[in-house]
Amino acid sequence: MSNNPFPLPKEKLLEAYTKMKTIREFEERLHVEFAKGDIPGFVHLYAGEEASGTGIMMHLEDKDRIASTHRGHGHCIAKGVDVNGMMAEIYGKVTGSCRGKGGSMHIADLSKGMMGANGILGAGAPLICGAALASKYRGDGGVGITFFGDGASNQGTVLESMNLAAVWNLPVIFVVENNGYAESTSIDYAVAVDSYIDRAAGFGIPGVTVDGTDFFAVHEAAGEIIKRAREGGGPAFLECKMVRFFGHFEGDAQTYRAKGENEENRANKDCIKIFRKRVGGAGVISDAEFEKIDKEVMHAIEESVQRAKKDPLPSAKELLTDVYVSY
Amino acid sequence: MAPLVGIIANPVSASDIRRVVANASTLQVTDRANIVLRVLSALASCGITNVLMMPEKSGIRRHINRAYERAANLKEDIFPQLNHIRMDITSTVEDTLLATRKMREAGCAAIVVLGGDGTHRAVVSQCGDIPISGISTGTNNAFPEHREPTITGLATGLAVSGKVPADIAFQSNKRIDIQIGDAIRDIAIVDVAIVTERFVGAKALWKPENFRELYVTFSDPEVIGMSAIAGLLEPVTRDDPDGLVVKIVPHHEAKTILKVPFAPGIIGPIGIGSWQRMKAGVPAKLDLPAGTIALDGERELAFDQNDDVSITLVNNAFRTINVSAVMQYASRNGLMRT
Repeated sequence: MSNNPFPLPKEKLLEAYTKMKTIREFEERLHVEFAKGDIPGFVHLYAGEEASGTGIMMHLEDKDRIASTHRGHGHCIAKGVDVNGMMAEIYGKVTGSCRGKGGSMHIADLSKGMMGANGILGAGAPLICGAALASKYRGDGGVGITFFGDGASNQGTVLESMNLAAVWNLPVIFVVENNGYAESTSIDYAVAVDSYIDRAAGFGIPGVTVDGTDFFAVHEAAGEIIKRAREGGGPAFLECKMVRFFGHFEGDAQTYRAKGENEENRANKDCIKIFRKRVGGAGVISDAEFEKIDKEVMHAIEESVQRAKKDPLPSAKELLTDVYVSY
Repeated sequence: MAPLVGIIANPVSASDIRRVVANASTLQVTDRANIVLRVLSALASCGITNVLMMPEKSGIRRHINRAYERAANLKEDIFPQLNHIRMDITSTVEDTLLATRKMREAGCAAIVVLGGDGTHRAVVSQCGDIPISGISTGTNNAFPEHREPTITGLATGLAVSGKVPADIAFQSNKRIDIQIGDAIRDIAIVDVAIVTERFVGAKALWKPENFRELYVTFSDPEVIGMSAIAGLLEPVTRDDPDGLVVKIVPHHEAKTILKVPFAPGIIGPIGIGSWQRMKAGVPAKLDLPAGTIALDGERELAFDQNDDVSITLVNNAFRTINVSAVMQYASRNGLMRT
């Protein structure tokens, strides 16, 4: 009998851990670097939410499209966007994924199916309906995933897109990453219908809630949903319940949190710790193997920061390039 | 003074992957709140003046509060005094466990439970001798009987008010203990399924090719889920002192292929190797060396060859309110006549 009790072979488990760890280190490092004042604009960090993006994206190919949020770094990394290009983009450098003109909230890489982080809440949902319609029209088996938070779930764009996806039976998966707060407003206050699954049911879309801190719960549910969507099974809704380790944005004083909440989250709801304990405990990946990945990831992130700092800013003459498209 | 009744309503039962793979129902939060309101008015009609409820953050309380406000505005005196337990809310099963313990401490005479088999199992693990009344708001519910919640509320009110003799009002139930090593790790109130998946993941069971062993406290051909496999082989009532053990095998090794509704709307072939009665107090050992133990329909405990797992049926494990018997008694003895 195999020593591996998990539904993924060891190399895929290593890949999942590497992705989650890369996201974590990327965000932890940005938390430090942003405070130094070298990074233009705002950053919204995904630390604590890695199991969601990674568990879902492990099922996707480059032909599958995702539409991300203002908290998009984790989605980018999980979808395979180059970390050096991302870091340079966040620093506003010409070597960035969008040549330094998008910044944190507009990182995109169409070659990887990453349609973009998005500064407008709920704006990814209509975009992904378009991408999914294209896949359906072409018959290429591609699916579209739109991520949004519990706050953006109240936007009309999301609700209209759910209607459209249901009416056209599009291969779209609506993923609400429910970290409990719309910026600083608790979902207890701001979401009238209370249950996202209820909302999806209102459009005839089946909904599933999973523990977003459990990589394997996300991965299994997402796998089933994505497989069905690819084969014509239509849209679905996935709620990942999770926590974010940092504030809504860097600089957020987080006065809305309960005393000790962040410490409790770090101690008991850390999806990477949970993954490592489970996979390490089963003897599938050794401590030495985890530590080797940790070092490689630290090195990669360090390199990305150093490169981004040294790289040049875009020149003034590039201001209008790649901005408008001629049809 | 009228007895105190507790209500535990799981706000998130019926939200697993079976909405996607099996067209299972979604019970909206507003419906859950309306069920609680119907139970509350039924309890009040039986003279219950105080009810204690588990708090949650998913909206049930808010809908109920609005209904109480409307009733007050309309001067409708139809509800008992409702208090929510003061406790930290985790939005996990821990809330159900803690609320049940607090209802015991508060001296509740009965607990009305809204949820699936899993929610009922959580309450049973903590309720001790307090009888429970089950209302089905889950997916594959074998344990709570399907009936209008108003009737469940009426029967609960009549039973705890002492208007029905205890030997009619209350029913004893079986339980299955899961022991790993020296410790009882968990319980089941309907079924224990042993499946080949070696991880808990999305919890629900929907891949019959992975089913291997099944232990049930009772089996009923009118239910869906894992216990339906046993129910379609040999019905065993809740009153019967025995349970049933079923060995499930790949189709090419099967003596019988059974068509089973193992999830809502999914009827599939299950290969049956053998089945036999399960005697109370006799520990059974697993055939499968490694896999997951699913309790009342959800994967909960992964095990491997290093774990010594045993499964034991326990009689007279907990009490429920026998709604049917109470209502029959109420009718014959004119308890509802004014």
